[in-house]
Amino acid sequence: MTKNASLATEFCGMKFNTPLVLLSGCVGFGEEYTRVHGFSNRDAGAICLKGTTLDARPGNPAHRVCETPNGMINAIGLQNPGVDYVVNEILPTLDFEETRFIANVSGSTIEEYIEVTRRFDDSPIDAIEINISCPNVKEGGVAFGNDPAMSARVVEACRKVTNKPLITKLSPNQTDIAGNAKGCIEAGTDAFAAINTLMGMAIDIDSRVPIIGNNQGGLSGPAIKPVALLKVHQVYQVCRPHGIPIIGQGGICSAEDALEFIIAGASAVGIGTALFYDPLVCDKINRGIAAYLEQHQLTSIDQLVGTLQLNQR
Amino acid sequence: MSKQHRDTIFLEEAEILSHQHLDGDQHLLRLQAPECAAHAQPGSFVQIQCSAELPLRRPISIMRYSTNEGWVDFLYKALGRGTHLLATRQVGEKLSILGPIGTPFELHAERSRPLLIGGGVGMPPMIAIAESIKGQDNYKPLVILGSEVPFPFSAEPSKILLPNLPSSVIATMPLLDGWQIPCRLASQQGYAGCYQGYVTDLARIWLESLDEAERQKVEIFSCGPHPMLEAVAALAAEFNLPCQVSLEEFMACGVGGCAGCITPVEKEGEVSMKRVCVDGPVFDAVEVFPRSGH
Ligand SMILES: Cc1cc2nc3c(=O)[nH]c(=O)nc-3n(C[C@H](O)[C@H](O)[C@H](O)COP(=O)(O)OP(=O)(O)OC[C@H]3O[C@@H](n4cnc5c(N)ncnc54)[C@H](O)[C@@H]3O)c2cc1C
Ligand SMILES: Cc1cc2nc3c(=O)[nH]c(=O)nc-3n(C[C@H](O)[C@H](O)[C@H](O)COP(=O)(O)O)c2cc1C
Ligand code: FES
Repeated sequence: MTKNASLATEFCGMKFNTPLVLLSGCVGFGEEYTRVHGFSNRDAGAICLKGTTLDARPGNPAHRVCETPNGMINAIGLQNPGVDYVVNEILPTLDFEETRFIANVSGSTIEEYIEVTRRFDDSPIDAIEINISCPNVKEGGVAFGNDPAMSARVVEACRKVTNKPLITKLSPNQTDIAGNAKGCIEAGTDAFAAINTLMGMAIDIDSRVPIIGNNQGGLSGPAIKPVALLKVHQVYQVCRPHGIPIIGQGGICSAEDALEFIIAGASAVGIGTALFYDPLVCDKINRGIAAYLEQHQLTSIDQLVGTLQLNQR
Repeated sequence: MSKQHRDTIFLEEAEILSHQHLDGDQHLLRLQAPECAAHAQPGSFVQIQCSAELPLRRPISIMRYSTNEGWVDFLYKALGRGTHLLATRQVGEKLSILGPIGTPFELHAERSRPLLIGGGVGMPPMIAIAESIKGQDNYKPLVILGSEVPFPFSAEPSKILLPNLPSSVIATMPLLDGWQIPCRLASQQGYAGCYQGYVTDLARIWLESLDEAERQKVEIFSCGPHPMLEAVAALAAEFNLPCQVSLEEFMACGVGGCAGCITPVEKEGEVSMKRVCVDGPVFDAVEVFPRSGH
């Protein structure tokens, strides 16, 4: 298990054991993967909990997941027990000594985002991620995230009700992600998560019906990595002058993948779909990053963030 | 706070000890996986990495396990990409497996006549239950296995006679005969010694042959194709017998993290979405087939 001091880092004032963040929707409410022998929440700097709404949501019908070339599509539909249950019943069972826990807030209206954020503000949660990029719900979600003015309004409204670190999760399903990020910075976000899933579909040719019950869903995994990397690079350009950090994510499976995102401008890196293939992947990525730092005589990943040197044309 | 769930599932690089390729694209796989073997229970399954090319693992039930020798047996049918790639893996190679996973079948001492009904590649968990009670005199089980492709073993006439069933229905799985566990086979394919029809029809003949007191000792356990499970649930409802079924659903994580593998479960009129991987795969039939007649 990693206990390499050089991997510790700070993100929005939070102390992370390592730059790895376990991504929302992939690790339930923080305890599910601890079933696996050898897995430790301490291998992650932070864990993003499942997307949470004001009231409980049953989620979408089956099938909710399916494999695609080098990735998968999911349409869970934000199944969650509602914010009060999360705050009152789940948070007290989490061990905040092990890692930082980040809430992931969703809603169908701005009012819902505000109310859920307010309730998490009044809880031990370490930070709040606003998910304006969920592709699997009819209202809110990506519909807000793909509209720059709406994105900024949601961020501004949530900002007013919390002093906890506020992370805005950006959608890749939009034309100008950097422009959107700019608006969110002005609206008061402390950080970004980029990117959420890309919208996609898979079809059963025998029945001629989409495999996913919701017909369409979000594509994740290695298939989206090049897209994610470019988006992180673009978002970093607007973040750099403001010192706004990014949790880079999308298809990261190895230390090399993680390092690419860090070099592109991510201060922390998200691990989601890769866990499904290898539940102990975090330990391997941590070791790989530590080895790279040592090899390049760096004492902290902070020295690596955004060190990309573009080819001069 | 209780953290009993922690460290219950193991990731192992399991060596392939044997890999037999049978008719009907069925394959018998034995892996050296001591942790999985030590913690397996009837009904639990593993998530297998069929090939490094695939981003997701595949769920496969545990059929047999030897805690002492550290091996685990699986029976699977090659259906799509993953299971076809799995079938190409050779003895001596290693496979990454994650397991054992899931809430297992639960036997009840007062229900001393377990009726185990397995269809196709739903047979493995039934074999696992049978082996777990072999040699226990307090249980008087009956196993009924059905298949529409050749059975993944050479069926033989059983030495255990069952006077309540037609005498022509005599074929069994020799392994079960060896364990002194009565078993009969059903198929529509006209295989010798097998009951010509559905597993549920044969189960009905047996249930009807029991007197009421004996029948009240029956509990049904089943795994197989969804329509078969629905029929089993309806049969259980008709005879007012408890019934546990093992379900299948597409999975991503297999450890409860993604909520990808859900099935609607109805309890006291309220429907909730449960995860097949960790809340199941075994469920009370009444809760997953609420309209089966209960
Ligand atoms: C708890 C559990 C136990 C199982 N035990 C066995 C067993 O002992 N023997 C056996 O032969 N089969 C078993 N199955 C079914 C087996 O998992 C599928 O046949 C297999 O995943 C198909 O993968 P594929 O790539 O060959 O097929 P594809 O159709 O190419 O698969 C595409 C995707 O759909 C998923 N998928 C397709 N069909 C199923 C299915 N029926 N259940 C779950 N996921 C599916 C795959 O996992 C994959 O992600 C079990 C399923 C579950 C959920
Ligand atoms: C099964 C599944 C469920 C997800 N649920 C959520 C969610 O509730 N909220 C959210 O912000 N992102 C959700 N995501 C997106 C991930 O957090 C992550 O941003 C995305 O999958 C890209 O990273 P990856 O390729 O490493 O998985 C989900 C992803 C998956 C695969
Ligand atoms: S497969 Fe992820 S919760 Fe069951």
